[in-house]
Amino acid sequence: MSLGLLTLIVLGLAAFGFLLGRGRALSSVKGDPRALHSLPAYYGWSVALATAVPALLVLAAWLFVQPALLQGQIAAQLPADAAGSTDLAMADLRRIASGLDRLEGSLPAADLAALTQDPAALRGQLASAGVALGAEIDPAVLKAATDYRAAATRGQGAMVLVVALIAAAGFAIALWRIRPDLRARNLVEQLTTLVLIGCSLIAVATTFGIVASLVFESVHFFRIYDFGKFFFSTTWNPKFGGGSDLGLWPLVWGTLYVSVIALVVSVPIGLMAAIYLSEYAGRKVRSFAKPAIEILAGIPTIVYGLFALITVGPFLRDWFAQPLGLGASSSSVMTAGLVMGIMLIPFVSSLSDDIINAVPQAMRDGSYGLGATQSETVKQVVLPAALPGIVGAVLLAASRAIGETMIVVMGAGAAAKMSLNPFEAMTTVTVKIVSQLTGDTEFASPETLVAFALGLTLFCFTLALNVLALVIVRKYREQYE
Amino acid sequence: MNDMRILERDVETQTAKMTARGVQVYYGDNHALKDVDIDILQNTVTAFIGPSGCGKSTFLRCLNRMNDTVASARVLGQILLEGEDIYDKRVDPVTLRARVGMVFQKPNPFPKSIYDNVAYGPKIHGLTRSKADLDEVVETALKKAALWNEVKDRLSAPGTGLSGGQQQRLCIARAIATSPEVLLMDEPCSALDPIATAQVEELIDELRSQFSVVIVTHSMQQAARVSQRTAFFHLGNLVEFGETGQIFTNPRDPRTESYITGRIG
Ligand SMILES: Nc1ncnc2c1ncn2[C@@H]1O[C@H](COP(=O)(O)OP(=O)(O)O)[C@@H](O)[C@H]1O
Ligand SMILES: [Mg+2]
Repeated sequence: MSLGLLTLIVLGLAAFGFLLGRGRALSSVKGDPRALHSLPAYYGWSVALATAVPALLVLAAWLFVQPALLQGQIAAQLPADAAGSTDLAMADLRRIASGLDRLEGSLPAADLAALTQDPAALRGQLASAGVALGAEIDPAVLKAATDYRAAATRGQGAMVLVVALIAAAGFAIALWRIRPDLRARNLVEQLTTLVLIGCSLIAVATTFGIVASLVFESVHFFRIYDFGKFFFSTTWNPKFGGGSDLGLWPLVWGTLYVSVIALVVSVPIGLMAAIYLSEYAGRKVRSFAKPAIEILAGIPTIVYGLFALITVGPFLRDWFAQPLGLGASSSSVMTAGLVMGIMLIPFVSSLSDDIINAVPQAMRDGSYGLGATQSETVKQVVLPAALPGIVGAVLLAASRAIGETMIVVMGAGAAAKMSLNPFEAMTTVTVKIVSQLTGDTEFASPETLVAFALGLTLFCFTLALNVLALVIVRKYREQYE
Repeated sequence: MNDMRILERDVETQTAKMTARGVQVYYGDNHALKDVDIDILQNTVTAFIGPSGCGKSTFLRCLNRMNDTVASARVLGQILLEGEDIYDKRVDPVTLRARVGMVFQKPNPFPKSIYDNVAYGPKIHGLTRSKADLDEVVETALKKAALWNEVKDRLSAPGTGLSGGQQQRLCIARAIATSPEVLLMDEPCSALDPIATAQVEELIDELRSQFSVVIVTHSMQQAARVSQRTAFFHLGNLVEFGETGQIFTNPRDPRTESYITGRIG
């Protein structure tokens, strides 16, 4: 039985339970809903939820646990390769199992059974079904694959049975419990809470999962690469054959340099635009300019990257770098920083605009009432009041700048360097994460795994910035409560 | 009522500081204030009373052009400050507001220190020559607002950290420090406890010797206690304007009588 059908049956049973539960509640009081503790629909819901929620939860858990358990068992059967790892055999196994699934549809059962005894013929059949295998099928792997399929089928049968039983039990118990004085309303409240908790757990668990996978792979990296060399070396020079220098600092330097230029561009411009829009602009200007600025925020970063590559880069090279004798590269920190700054302008301005608008009008009135001009009011009253919020906005913009990749690839190049010259090509942490992971080196090599250590470093960086921003913004909120 | 009559005679001799003639205010299509004529006298406390929404604040805000900051507001008619039309194109609303100061209903201290709150006006208008001068202005203003003793040891603490009543007195000190000629107060005591209210009322009476004071209030007792002249507004109209004693003891208009005896409001 397929998964979708099983879910549908459970939901159908729940819907049926709703009708039945409501009807039973009403008939227990001879059709007079006033004699019930709760509204009749709550009795219906209590049955529906009791049917569906536990059954579906078990179903979800089963779907996670079964493959993990099975693979653990099967892996023990597999022949280990030279490195003592069963990863390759496991990958073959999975491919064979899925190929057999496909063949099952087109071949009679007897033919399939015969095929599983004959690895060579099976390989040909699988290839014609679109599953290409690299080498001859190892009989041991084939045996494991058929075992795996059998176990999976058994497991699925058990799953259908268990889920159906749980649904039926929930259905029966909830229906049996219906009495006029049953507090169905409170029951539904509790079950709803369970559903909500479940959903928020998924969100939290995903975050933890992401961090855990980063940490896990970083630990791998530090097992094969020296901790001190990563954190304290100032050369970044990955080599294919091993013996690479994977020092963090050139990348961090590039990241900071680009981000600082981006902030120097975006913060003053964005802030002044926000001040103009919220304090000076008339309604007409505002209704036109605010969306126009926000359109900038909707442009994909790759488009900014193109702009950096074909317009800003050559322009800076021809008009500034070469005349000043600072280099002949069209990829430069300056290019990426400028374009990233432009990208961040709407980000800074719309956040600051919201914050400036949140400063109470009474504060401005107080200042105008003392005979202050508009700019005096902005400078001395509005901005100080909004300052913590603006700092928060700037920090958020900074964490976006640090995480930006596309503009850097296209604007600043890919050379890891520590130089003060803003017209030289440099690169950032994010760019190197991409290039190390998509390179041709083996996954278990330090050259690839360094991407995770870099990712973790970046994550800590932006996390710290975001926490700082949140703390400041929260403090700011308290002021007006 | 005896001292009332003395005050009445006092008032007769005063000259008009501000004169309003035929003032109309519209908020979009809402005709909020209809044809108001009022004289604000020199060294006098004028009280505006009337039910909520009748246009007291609106009229008060006309007197220092605070309505300029409301996009939908339109003011017609003539308002003179010492004979000069304040809505004339040549008049700078910013300098006007330095001459006609304002205290608002809700205390609105700036997010600055207590000292800087009071020093704000003198600083932007360049009223003092030296730091010592400024210190003195701040101290005098705080003393007049009956706040000095409570804050003299923490002048650098933020103004927002004071209690509601203290904040309102801080706002009054802030307005006094700019040394305006007319001081407009919009329900300045609505957020204050009785003790702070009494202090502010006492202060208003003292301020009369230097400024003209206009106060909007919901408390009839307060109007009777602090003002020499009272104006009663109703539904955007100025119904009656005269000496406080007369308004409260012998109102001419039946609507005034209903209001002060508590029948409309
Ligand atoms: N900023 C504004 N925008 C639009 N209408 C306003 C505004 N301020 C006041 N009004 C309207 O003007 C009328 C008078 O209000 P207001 O002067 O505040 O009354 P009061 O101070 O006597 O209670 C009310 O009908 C009110 O709705
Ligand atoms: Mg009012």
